[in-house]
This record gives sequence, C-alpha cells and structure tokens, in this order.
Amino acid sequence: MHASFRAHIAACPSRRGAPGLGRRVIDVPEDPPPEPPFSPVRGVQAAAGRRAPAAGNADLARLIVAIAQSKDRAAFTRLFGHFAPRVKTYMLRLGAAPALAEDLAQETLLMVWRKAALFDPAGASASGWVYTIARNLRRDRLRRDNHPAETQPELALQPEAMTPPDVALDAADLEQRVRQAMARLGDDQRRVVRLSFFEDRPHAEIAAALGIPLGTVKSRLRLAMKKLRDLLDDTQ
Amino acid sequence: MTARHHPSPDTLLAFASGSLDPARGLVVACHIERCPACAGQVRLMEEVGGALLADAEPTPLTDGALARTLARLDGIAPEAAAVPGRGHDMPVVSQALERCALGPWRWIGPGLHWRSTDVLAEDGTRAFLLRSKPGTRLPHHTHTGVEMTLVLKGAFSHQGGRYAAGDLEEADEATEHQPIVDPGEDCICLVAMNGNLRLLGVMGRLLQPFVRL
Repeated sequence: MHASFRAHIAACPSRRGAPGLGRRVIDVPEDPPPEPPFSPVRGVQAAAGRRAPAAGNADLARLIVAIAQSKDRAAFTRLFGHFAPRVKTYMLRLGAAPALAEDLAQETLLMVWRKAALFDPAGASASGWVYTIARNLRRDRLRRDNHPAETQPELALQPEAMTPPDVALDAADLEQRVRQAMARLGDDQRRVVRLSFFEDRPHAEIAAALGIPLGTVKSRLRLAMKKLRDLLDDTQ
Repeated sequence: MTARHHPSPDTLLAFASGSLDPARGLVVACHIERCPACAGQVRLMEEVGGALLADAEPTPLTDGALARTLARLDGIAPEAAAVPGRGHDMPVVSQALERCALGPWRWIGPGLHWRSTDVLAEDGTRAFLLRSKPGTRLPHHTHTGVEMTLVLKGAFSHQGGRYAAGDLEEADEATEHQPIVDPGEDCICLVAMNGNLRLLGVMGRLLQPFVRL
C-alpha cells in the first residue's frame, strides 16, 4: 500500500512529497497550515483567497471516481487526509464528543469508499457530496441512539441517496460558484448561515449569542439563502 | 404531479443543515423525492454545507486512524447501485420510507388505519402513516405541537386548501382543521407529529389512545 501510494504521489505533479503518511494522519500537503479557529465571519473570505477551490474540488471528485472505477486505495488515502479532519471538526462543532467525532469522521470516509459509484460529478461537488454523507451519518447515529434496543448496524450504515440533482443545476463548478456567492453575502448574513450549518444550536440561542432578536436571525437566514439563489441564477 | 404545497424555506434549510428532527426529516425527504423544485433548493443548500466543510479547520485524527480505516476497507464491498429497500407492501414507493421499519396497519376508527414507523426523534416527534377511506372525515383537531403531513397517495381538503400526492402541510398550535378525504381512492399520508393532537368528538376519542404521544 505504502509503495503504491508513493507511486501515486510521484505520478501527481501538483503534489509535494508527503513523507511519513500512514504513520500519522496529516492533512493533504496542498492545504495551508491550520489557521487560528475561524470566526464565523472570515472563514469563507479567507478560503477564497488561499487556494483555487475549483481545481482542488475537481481533483477531489476525480479521487472519488478513481475509487469507484478501481478501488484505488491511494485515492482513498488522499481523500481521507483531506476530508476526515474536516468532518471531525464538523462533528465537534455540532456537539459530538471527540471520540464520537473521530468515529463519525472515519465512518464518513468508509461510506465514501462504499458509495463512490453513486457519486455523480455532474450532480454535486465532492465537498457537497461528502457533506451530505457526514450530515446523514450524524442524523442516523442520533436516530439509532434513540432506539437503543433496535440494532441494525447494516442499515444504519446506509445513508439516503443524495438529494436528486436538479437538472437545471450543473455542478461542475457549483462549489466555486457557491463560494463566490457566499463571499458576496454581508458579514451578518454569512454568520447566520454558518451558524445554522455548523452549530448545534437552535435559532433562539444563536439570536442570544449574537445579541439580536430571533426574528432577525430568521429573516437574515431567509435573505441570505434567497441572495445565494439569486446569485447562482445570475452566474448560470 | 407537481406539488402545490411545499415545506417552508426555513424547513428546507433545517433539512439541508441536518437540524431537522428525524421524523420531520423523513417527511421532507419523501416530499423532495417528488418535488424537483424543492430538491433543487436543498441541493443548493447542501453545496453551501460542502463549501463550509471545505473551509473548516482540520482537526487531526488520533494516531493510526488512517491505518485502522484502511484495514476496514476490505470488509466493505463498494456498491454499484442504490441499496435495495425493505420491500414494504405499500402502494407507493419512497426511497426514504424504504429505509424505515414499518409496523402492521392497524384499524383505529371507521375508514381509518394507522401504521407506525421506527422513526422517533429525541424530542418525541414521531413519524407514522395514516390511511383513510375515500370520503372519510378526519377528526376535528388542534395541535399542541407541530404536525407535518405529506400526501403519498390520494388527496384531502380542509379549510387551508386541497392537498394531493406530493403536497406537504406544516401545521402548528395555531392550526385548527378538519380534513375530508377526496372520493375515489384511499388517501395515504406520512405524518410527523410532536406534542398532542387534541381530537374533538366521538372519532377523536377513538383515535386518541393510538396517536397520543
């Protein structure tokens, strides 16, 4: 495995060497060193400036396709390096204990391996697809925990199929367009969008944390989502 | 079969961001299977989730996590197609419903059958199926919590309009209604309910012990 992974890296001109992989899980080399914990406001802007997201995303999509086509373990290793630490962050932010967050991150990547053939690069970006897997696994875990007597590990491992792609949405560069649209939201709107995806808090608590009325949180969210839709319509 | 009644934007966002409880999540998932417009909205929101995930600060996994995960790959066969469902004896097909365990249909009143699902949220919201004979007048009721109803087959009408296959209704404490099932065919609905349904009348007293949460 190790040798084939090195061969894969060597065949991949865009990548720098990654010594020691397999011994310790590290992020994929093209990612920048960790930043300070992100504030809800600046995450997207910072990301927009630090790398070319579309290329990275297309690259990630190709890795998923490689798993589907040839059970490519080197591709899996790269996907794991990129996504598992991010999914762990996602789970932690949604209130999972570290051990559970780690478990769900690994389960998410196992599901990527298992479901790779169902990934349609024309229907979703790699990040969007992995996000839905992580979200569904977390939800299914909550659901299973509510039924402690009923153990169906086989079924609990199966997330629902991704939401059927709308034919009008061409996903080839969707994530990039979403990023651009999010970068054009106001700070306040971006903050409530981020909090509603990445914090396990009801809107009432988000309102209290931001010091604004509940109705303002809801209206900001609605406006933000409408603006995203409009911006995406414009760029199509 | 274009749906005319849809989940609110708030509900779609809650679904896409994973904060909707499992019972209502099941109902919305079944609606989305039948509604390309809402599916498109949710797809967009899921891409927002993907962009946020891509931007998230990586948290290092514990030592050996990759090796342990790689060691598990051999035991997992990649799937070439969607997993077959449980093959429920239902006249309508729903991928989301196929993943749930369903109980048997139970008679709960004249013209009315009820069927449990195994979907129960932490806050007590549960999902179940309701099958009504054509022309059935459902008990007059109000809610003490939220109720979400998706028509899978047939149609019903009440003060708020007519609901046919694919239509989704969200009701809360402020809603008071008495649905009447269309003539012609059975109406099957998937319902998520939190709190008590306050049923009024004789039918209500019959139904109450069964659907009371």
